[in-house]
Amino acid sequence: MGAHISIPMYQRAVAQRYRLVGQKCTKCGKINFPPKAVCKYCQAGNEFENVSLSGKGKIYSKTVIAGGGAPPEFAEEAKCKGSYPVAIVELDEGPRIIAQLVNPPEEGYSIGMPVEAVFRKIYEEEGVIRYGFKFRMAAQSV
Amino acid sequence: MEGVAIIGAGQTKYGDYPNKGVKELFAEAYLEMLQSIDQGLEPQQIQAAYIGCLSSGSGFQLGQLAPLLMGHVGLPNVNAVRIENACASGGYALYNAACAVASGKYDLVIAAGVEKMRDVSSSKGRYWLGVSGDTEYERLAGSTFAGIYALMAARYMYDYGMKREHLSMVAVKNHRNAVANPKAQFRKEITMEQALKGVPVAHPFNVWDCSPTTDGAAVVLLCNAKLAKDFTDKPVYLRGFGAASDYLAIHDRNSITSLAATRKAAAEAYKQAGVGPKDINFAEVHDCFTIAEIMAYGDLGFCEEGRGHILLEEGYTRPDGKLPVNASGGLKAKGHPIGATGCGMAVEIFKQLRDEAQEPSRQIKNARFALSHNVGGSGGTAAVFVYQRGDE
Repeated sequence: MGAHISIPMYQRAVAQRYRLVGQKCTKCGKINFPPKAVCKYCQAGNEFENVSLSGKGKIYSKTVIAGGGAPPEFAEEAKCKGSYPVAIVELDEGPRIIAQLVNPPEEGYSIGMPVEAVFRKIYEEEGVIRYGFKFRMAAQSV
Repeated sequence: MEGVAIIGAGQTKYGDYPNKGVKELFAEAYLEMLQSIDQGLEPQQIQAAYIGCLSSGSGFQLGQLAPLLMGHVGLPNVNAVRIENACASGGYALYNAACAVASGKYDLVIAAGVEKMRDVSSSKGRYWLGVSGDTEYERLAGSTFAGIYALMAARYMYDYGMKREHLSMVAVKNHRNAVANPKAQFRKEITMEQALKGVPVAHPFNVWDCSPTTDGAAVVLLCNAKLAKDFTDKPVYLRGFGAASDYLAIHDRNSITSLAATRKAAAEAYKQAGVGPKDINFAEVHDCFTIAEIMAYGDLGFCEEGRGHILLEEGYTRPDGKLPVNASGGLKAKGHPIGATGCGMAVEIFKQLRDEAQEPSRQIKNARFALSHNVGGSGGTAAVFVYQRGDE
């Protein structure tokens, strides 16, 4: 089985994965994340300025991936933890993104709750640890 | 534009075929299709073949699958091409075949689909099943398609007050429908209690909310409508066909409780057919996960957006309801051999609209118009078809 995302492919998106770098369309001013060649909002602009997103947002939808629903590269994590939470987060700057949640509160959490991005290990493939963003509940301490 | 008719259709039973590969599965469906043509057909008259397949037989044949399959059934020189749009590969094979006949270029064209999924290890299967979505972001969140549809279901519950039980109603209905279908993979009923308590996959889904892995093939033969009655007194006309795409990634879409691709494809198909959702007598829709059928009700115009679960609750889409949906058992219980699914729906509708549903108990009576709906992945692509019976 080949790697799901090769090291060079991963490396090309390091700005997004490590620093949440989005693109501000010079035509309509809206922010695209992940990057597009043509702005997804005005569908016309193709020049952008890089902007780092705050990483703050709200849960737009959520699920919990159990062993049976985990991709093989996350199988070990699913086996270890039993399951792990995944959410779509609507960032304050507008774009939505999908990521794992870390340390979900025991008392539960729901759509609409504020979250913030954290830098975490995503998984390991081809012997290399891949880092990227996950989210935690906004009020939670480190 | 030329009219398009279906004059023959065949499919394997969907299921588990340890002794058959893609070639053998395709040949079985092809030969059944030939036999179904009432006045017979000289196979050499067939001019082209559009064959849907995602994995090209679990990846053993990366390229040029279509000529391999056509050579296997004695037609090495037709214009043969593989069509791929993930789980909508079969639907897009049908769409492209229909366009080829409608254009006047060809009079007799095969639309087919085939998939061999049961040869694959569960690890490789799960590897494959997430790589038709947005692999760079969705997948890196640790999600396969089950997780993506689960996110849709959670938001649908939040926005519209749908309950967990509504999802299970889809599974219970479609499993019951499959019992009488000799082509179905799982011909057994499940209870509501079972459906609510399966092994967790991605909350709120358990295993009963998910379509299975399946081997199978389906073949239909399209004909210029002007020539159809040379081959049969009971052609089924393909009155409308639509296809549309959307952002592949769920996070790029405005709505995650509706598939924009389905809406646009349906509008195109209805417009071409000159009919609307109220004219449809029964439908085969893409229920890869239970929420997908509930969303499809709204996207196909059977109800307002956000009321799919109410339609289900009222029994509107049961076999004895006003608009039977997935009387075949659907992807959920008839099975989901990815590339074959869209053409398998056409096989089911062909049989139903000719009053040849085999088991009398599952024959839908007095139907005039039918619809099929095939989705790629989580809605990156969709194809919708409107059929009309031809013996009236």
